[in-house]
Amino acid sequence: MNVVQELLQSFSREQIIVDDEQKAPFECDGLSAYREKPLAVVLPASIEEVQLALNICRKYKTPVITRGSGTGLSGGALPTQDGVVLGLSKMNRILNIDPLARTAVVEPGVRNITISQEAAPHNLYYAPDPSSQVACSIGGNVAENSGGVHCLKYGLTVHNVLAIKVITLDGEELTLDYKDDGIDLLALLNGSEGLLGIIVEIKVKLLPKAEASQLIMAAFHKVSDCANAVTNILKSGIIPAGLEMMDQFSIEAAEAFAHVGYPLEAAALLLCEVDGNQYQVEADTKKVSSLLNENGAYLLKLSQNDEERIALWQGRKNAFPAVGRLSPDYYCMDGTIPRNKLAYVLDQIDDMSKRYELKVANVFHAGDGNLHPLILYDAQIPGELEKTEQFGAEILKLCIDVGGTITGEHGVGVEKLDSMCQQFSAPEIEIFHQIKQVFDPENLLNPGKAVPTLHRCAELGQMHVHHGELPFAHLERF
Amino acid sequence: MSITHLQEQIKQAAHEKQRLQIIGNQSKVSLIDNHTPLEIGGYTGVTSYDPAELVVTVKTGTKIADLQQELAQHNQMLAFDTPDYGDSTIGGSYACGLSGPSQPFFGALRDFVLGIKMIDGKGQALTFGGEMIKNVAGYDVARMLVGSKGLFGVVTEISLKVLPLMEEKTYSMEMGQADAIIKMNEMAGTALPISGCAYYQGKLYYRLIGIHPPQSAMPEDNTIWQKVNPFRPEISGKQKLWRVSIDSMHPPIHNTLLIDQVGARRWIVSEHKPDVSHVDLWDLQDKKRRPSFDSHPKITDIKKGLKSVFDPYGIFH
Ligand SMILES: Cc1cc2nc3c(=O)[nH]c(=O)nc-3n(C[C@H](O)[C@H](O)[C@H](O)COP(=O)(O)OP(=O)(O)OC[C@H]3O[C@@H](n4cnc5c(N)ncnc54)[C@H](O)[C@@H]3O)c2cc1C
Ligand SMILES: Cc1cc2nc3c(=O)[nH]c(=O)nc-3n(C[C@H](O)[C@H](O)[C@H](O)COP(=O)(O)OP(=O)(O)OC[C@H]3O[C@@H](n4cnc5c(N)ncnc54)[C@H](O)[C@@H]3O)c2cc1C
Repeated sequence: MNVVQELLQSFSREQIIVDDEQKAPFECDGLSAYREKPLAVVLPASIEEVQLALNICRKYKTPVITRGSGTGLSGGALPTQDGVVLGLSKMNRILNIDPLARTAVVEPGVRNITISQEAAPHNLYYAPDPSSQVACSIGGNVAENSGGVHCLKYGLTVHNVLAIKVITLDGEELTLDYKDDGIDLLALLNGSEGLLGIIVEIKVKLLPKAEASQLIMAAFHKVSDCANAVTNILKSGIIPAGLEMMDQFSIEAAEAFAHVGYPLEAAALLLCEVDGNQYQVEADTKKVSSLLNENGAYLLKLSQNDEERIALWQGRKNAFPAVGRLSPDYYCMDGTIPRNKLAYVLDQIDDMSKRYELKVANVFHAGDGNLHPLILYDAQIPGELEKTEQFGAEILKLCIDVGGTITGEHGVGVEKLDSMCQQFSAPEIEIFHQIKQVFDPENLLNPGKAVPTLHRCAELGQMHVHHGELPFAHLERF
Repeated sequence: MSITHLQEQIKQAAHEKQRLQIIGNQSKVSLIDNHTPLEIGGYTGVTSYDPAELVVTVKTGTKIADLQQELAQHNQMLAFDTPDYGDSTIGGSYACGLSGPSQPFFGALRDFVLGIKMIDGKGQALTFGGEMIKNVAGYDVARMLVGSKGLFGVVTEISLKVLPLMEEKTYSMEMGQADAIIKMNEMAGTALPISGCAYYQGKLYYRLIGIHPPQSAMPEDNTIWQKVNPFRPEISGKQKLWRVSIDSMHPPIHNTLLIDQVGARRWIVSEHKPDVSHVDLWDLQDKKRRPSFDSHPKITDIKKGLKSVFDPYGIFH
């Protein structure tokens, strides 16, 4: 008996896919440049079935790749040839909403937006709102510690998850709660990219809807003015509910797609939303408007009602697909930088764009310094994907150089393994491997993702030297 | 005091099979026998702070009061209301993971941690996280070690998200405990800009920030929150103080002295451990280690495993 045979015996035909053609939708996630067909895809519908699948896989030492909705953009859910994909889309029930305690308990396959929709009758919502929220699963959100427009004020996933149930590789069911004493395992599991355990139930915090929200759109002739405006808004003591910036190329693309009335001649567009009670929103709107004027905005537009506010956001929220229409392929980067380096970094990316002869659209979460340069390319042209990847890696290196990080929300997956070697020293990467060992000594949960081997870093010559101590002193190459 | 000096001390301890006890300002812990103190209290000062970035990086021996003062000069603050027992250091607070009444609204201490520098049990200087509000590269060791109580290594620097200083007003209403629990939760579900909600000696207290509609409740002095947090009650005889973390709507528990965090934290005075989950002994007399209560033996195993990752020679108490 092999692993596939035993899985076939244990699960009903609707819950297991072994046919090559039917496996096709599972061979990649949102990062479609990488594809691989797994041995099988299993679709458990309950915690017990997750445990069953894990027990079988463990018995045959078969890797398990957990998959939510597959919207990940770093190849985190990329299958391996010798592995089984554990798809959690059938575990999609909302188990409980407690309006008074302001909590929801949900299965991992529930889509992010569904939680807010179900909570809406109680005047509550779930704050983290990745742009993929109509599709991505809450389990995937926890595994990636996802964020969205609301993050600056309302936090990332890790700040809004109260407890999770996790199945460890040996089939144990653990509850990790923010109330637990001692070291914070719940925080550790957030953003662990499917390497430490399978998240099978999530209790999230629900927030009361703001009484009022006001969107202020500002257009600038100079990118640096826009960047300064961001800095000055935050310095003034206002934390906007959303603070997003787009460059000219993205504005054009978004407007052509969504027709929301963005000014096409602007070099940079800022969308700033303030929320709270009526009184507070009025005061903040006045303050933000005058700051924007002082910082060189040549046009201000205040949303007149909720429909208009939502419509103006639609352009931003659809910026990725909008840019996607302009090019056969695009590659979405995800680095984070200190906000005071924004103008400098954008200039540098512009220079690189000329050097690589590849167009770049910049859409980003200005409030938290999270950049999303979209590099446009054509996969049909030989060598262009490689050139694009090199361009992307150079952007990430720039992010590290100015004191930032290689991923603000999309995770490392397989995509940014090499960049990890630049951000972390050998002892730090070694610690990551040992943490993984504590949970998964046989290295069967999503192996090869998120943390590069030290060997790989050495090969690339990308391990930086910490405090004058040579990493891999024991390896001959040094 | 320098990092290299601390590293040397740790490497030597590992070599000589000595045991070290990390000490901030010793506001709580007393020295354990056969342990050499590893003092971090002298390692002080802000290493970087740009108010517009909403981030401060500080050496962990820095006193909370000093840090708050520095931030206040730029109209900013630490928003997690961490209790300050006189001279507490920011490193000690991180290691204990304590947050105050604002936790349900702004987040706990761990929610503001962006990155740390630390020295592990091998004497290695390590960095996890950074100064970015968003950062998902690598496992989140910086947040994981909140509450690690000096068992994993010495944390030398912390980067924290800060928030604008907010104007606060406190109000109170008289009512019974059971009603208060419901009322607190109801209020937290509205758009009122609340930053604290507690029940103490027959009164429900709540604190509002910024501009808000007029309230019919009694205005109170903001200093009431120092009674709520930090909390140092008179305890007699064999009674002990217990801290219970619980679902906010949990009905009243016997011998409750104070309810904080919209009902999610209860302080109980009794001889015996209350019969609910998530209870900590909060014994002001006994300065030794508190027992910890894990919900599953596997979790205890995982924590032990993680301890040996960071402290393979077992030098930290
Ligand atoms: C157009 C578009 C816009 C996006 N915008 C944003 C954005 O604004 N912010 C943002 O943060 N991300 C964004 N993303 C990325 C992506 O949507 C998020 O990372 C999301 O959280 C992934 O969820 P998923 O269910 O699709 O996970 P998947 O892609 O299926 O999996 C992602 C990773 O999580 C693991 N995983 C999934 N479920 C579990 C589980 N239950 N237990 C353990 N591990 C699990 C997988 O193994 C994999 O490593 C965007 C993606 C697209 C395509
Ligand atoms: C076991 C214990 C029980 C407590 N009980 C109470 C209580 O009953 N009542 C109360 O009011 N408060 C209690 N506290 C809270 C504590 O007094 C406060 O949180 C205070 O902020 C700690 O600051 P400090 O600088 O005085 O730390 P210290 O008292 O010096 O140290 C506290 C803990 O933090 C560790 N630590 C300190 N600095 C670092 C660092 N830089 N890196 C790593 N670890 C470090 C120490 O090893 C120790 O475990 C308790 C704390 C602990 C650890």
